[in-house]
Amino acid sequence: MSGSLIIQQPGNSVVTDLGRFRGPRFGLPVNGALDQFSARAANILAANADNAPLLEITALDFRMQATTDLLIAVTGAPLTLTVGGRECQQWEPVSVRAGETVAARRITGGLRAYLAVHGSVEAPELLGSCAPDTVVGFGLRLSEGTELKTGRSVGPIRQPYFDLPLFRLGLTRPEFGSRAVIDVTDGPDVEEFGDTAELLYTTEYTVSARSNHIGLRLGGALPERQSSAEVLSRGVPVGAIEVPSREELLVLHRGRGVTAGYPVLAVVTSRSLDTLAQARPGHTITFRKTTVPEATAKHRAAIRELENLRSRVSTIFALLGIGKEPGWPELIPAAGS
Amino acid sequence: MAATPNPTPVEIFESGDSALRVVASSDDTEANWATVHALAQWLETAGADGVHGAVPTYDSLLVEFDPGVTSARQVRAFVLLGLRQLEHVGAPARTPRDFSVPVVYGGEYGPDLERVAEHEQLSVEEIIALHTAKSYVIRCLGAPAGSPMMDGPDFPLPVPRLKDPRLSVPAGAVAVAGRQAVIAPAAAPGGWCVIGQTPLTVLDAASEPLVPYLPGDRLTFRQIQPEEFAEYAGRKLEAAR
Repeated sequence: MSGSLIIQQPGNSVVTDLGRFRGPRFGLPVNGALDQFSARAANILAANADNAPLLEITALDFRMQATTDLLIAVTGAPLTLTVGGRECQQWEPVSVRAGETVAARRITGGLRAYLAVHGSVEAPELLGSCAPDTVVGFGLRLSEGTELKTGRSVGPIRQPYFDLPLFRLGLTRPEFGSRAVIDVTDGPDVEEFGDTAELLYTTEYTVSARSNHIGLRLGGALPERQSSAEVLSRGVPVGAIEVPSREELLVLHRGRGVTAGYPVLAVVTSRSLDTLAQARPGHTITFRKTTVPEATAKHRAAIRELENLRSRVSTIFALLGIGKEPGWPELIPAAGS
Repeated sequence: MAATPNPTPVEIFESGDSALRVVASSDDTEANWATVHALAQWLETAGADGVHGAVPTYDSLLVEFDPGVTSARQVRAFVLLGLRQLEHVGAPARTPRDFSVPVVYGGEYGPDLERVAEHEQLSVEEIIALHTAKSYVIRCLGAPAGSPMMDGPDFPLPVPRLKDPRLSVPAGAVAVAGRQAVIAPAAAPGGWCVIGQTPLTVLDAASEPLVPYLPGDRLTFRQIQPEEFAEYAGRKLEAAR
């Protein structure tokens, strides 16, 4: 049975997914959830595919009402989550009964929260992704009264004893705080900055209020390019650190223009891009140099942790009868047949 | 796409844990361009698990991948395999298509036309004549939103960028900067000099592909009068044949 949810207070929220991976070859940024770990975790906790459409709630209070019984999960920046007035836990599956209001208030420590609904929500797609693209003017930005169709309804699951937390899923939650250490690898153009490149590792940077999904702007001592030869436009990766002006360091995030003509000093690792997605204006950033193999190992460790979470969630949900389509299980042919 | 019997040598640079930059490093800019585009096409066609795609520009190619599935080392090997394949079989040739773009020059449509003329020490008419004289090769799709990046018109001097970039340049803006020319498919901030505007719709977010041209296609500009703008408005940019 499908249902819907109705947005009562949108704050600053959109429907997104992990990104438009086919976009860059057509000149469109990848976009998608800025904190990929939290977005994947929310979907996994709601027994969805990692890339299923979900809600990204940035900075401001959010409220919605369910028209059917739902199962949701909220991850990302710490906030106060209430369902029908009861305070609920982030980073675990939460039952919502038809008619109840879900409120995500007082986002603190970080900037972005993710709300996944079991069965996901319907959203239009462009090049195989529902991720909003502000330049093309595509995507589902939520406003008061927006009705989102949901895939599946789930009856309430409730711990009968004292409303103790129902699940012990053992996921290590990311840390959120006002000081972040960001891992970077040397960029392809690091030599153009000469000795000044070292400033990146010895300076405390402050996140500017002009930061957004396209890039974070950081104030502090700036490495300086030693040559002034014109650079032809070329593809720049998400995470590229550039020094386009004398005022700020620019760290490109998932909404970045695919091509640019500035030298790339360093590149933020995949894991640290999630951390940067949660940095608020005024937060302090320091950079730490790492290598591509180490960054890859950290990324894979995080993916393994999410896979473990998925297997625990699917065991529990199978016992509770959630997420199974009615029908015959696939039979393994008998040996020798 | 021009056939490339002999791809140029390339250098491959790490660009974080999810991308590699491949740079064609010969002295022949045309061969460099053909190499990175042929390689991008080969990578798309061959496909490899975890490789999201490739963004070719002038002399470089950004190859993006998922470090959970593959690694910089594996993708580097895949790129080198592609280059060896191109040496043996050449790039698949694609017949370029032609696009003709009507443009209203100057006035509210091209607020920087006079500034550009002044900088080039030419008349406005001469600037328009030079801009409409040439058939441009679309070198790559750039930011924002699949802009057709082209080598610029044969102006005497490179065109300086605006000191204060505009917060919004309208869709259809026809602009020049340095030795490059472009059309803005969507409204976006921009620091290029806007000399005119086309009434045609370049980007259609409801269709796939979003923009009708590919790198290697050719494009010409033709002047229309402001009175004709409304007549063309809403029509889509389409290949001539």
